[in-house]
Amino acid sequence: MTDPLDAYAHALVEIARSEGNLDQVKHELLEVADQLDGHDALKSALTDELVPVARRQAIVEDLLGGKAHPRTANVVGFLIGAGRAKDLGEIARRMAARVAETSDATFAEVRSATPLNADQTARLSAALSAALGKKLDLRVVVDPSVVGGLVATVGDTVIDGSVRTKLDQLKTLL
Amino acid sequence: VRYAAVLAAEEFQAHHWWWPETKEIIWGGLAFLIVLAGLIKFAGPPLKKGLADRSARIADQLERAAAAKATAEAEAAQLRADLADIDARRTQILADSRAQAAKLVEEGALRNDAEMIDLEARAAADIAAARNRSTSELQHQVGAWASETAERYVAQRLDDALRNELVEDFIAKVGAR
Repeated sequence: MTDPLDAYAHALVEIARSEGNLDQVKHELLEVADQLDGHDALKSALTDELVPVARRQAIVEDLLGGKAHPRTANVVGFLIGAGRAKDLGEIARRMAARVAETSDATFAEVRSATPLNADQTARLSAALSAALGKKLDLRVVVDPSVVGGLVATVGDTVIDGSVRTKLDQLKTLL
Repeated sequence: VRYAAVLAAEEFQAHHWWWPETKEIIWGGLAFLIVLAGLIKFAGPPLKKGLADRSARIADQLERAAAAKATAEAEAAQLRADLADIDARRTQILADSRAQAAKLVEEGALRNDAEMIDLEARAAADIAAARNRSTSELQHQVGAWASETAERYVAQRLDDALRNELVEDFIAKVGAR
């Protein structure tokens, strides 16, 4: 039986591809997901079943209108209407994974406390590809909660070199 | 008056003053016998039966009195036996009570000892638990302070150069795999 989240991801890939805006919609959906993960109040407002769907969709329209592709805003509104707002991040990542698979690559996400320059991104991608033996479709996310270092997630594999994790380990030891 | 005196003199001469005439004796005797025979015939059996009944009733009463006396004597004997039994039972009950009281006192003392030991053990366990809890809370608090201090120190020391160095270190380590 197909996972519903996979089904959503597959449908979104096909729609965006047919419209010729796959990369943009994928990128924007991942950005929206990151923004939701970083703003608890916004995430609560969009996932709160007690708030009418039309009201939540209006919030999305206000936030994304004119800033993102209309299809992106439309997809986010659709997922909210389907009660999948809380799964937006996972759907976006599965969508990215499917897109990467079409070019025989694997979607990889790296979280960093500071933005990486192009050289660092290229070297990091090469190092991860060599270490995992896979061609990677790398995405770098700036996440201040990492504090320092990087966290790379490739499928089920997580390579954690973050200061956040070291601090957590220290906290556990203490 | 003269005539009456003559009659009285004749009367006096004809009947003895206390002895009746022969005819009167005969008739009187016959009447007596007839009355006696009637009495014997008609009144004799009921009288005889009454006497027999009375004798039987008296004998019955005597028998019942004897039976009642025997019963009373038996009951008296039973009462005397019961009294003796009651004395024995009272003695036994008193002895049992004393033994039970002694046992209860002994058990109570043992139970008190056991409860005291149990209370002491529980108190010791509570004290140990409280000590462990306090130690644990203290360790947790110290850990939280230390962690917070470490995080603050790292945040102060972590500038862009150091963050960049950490990124380069990560890339180098992954590349070395």
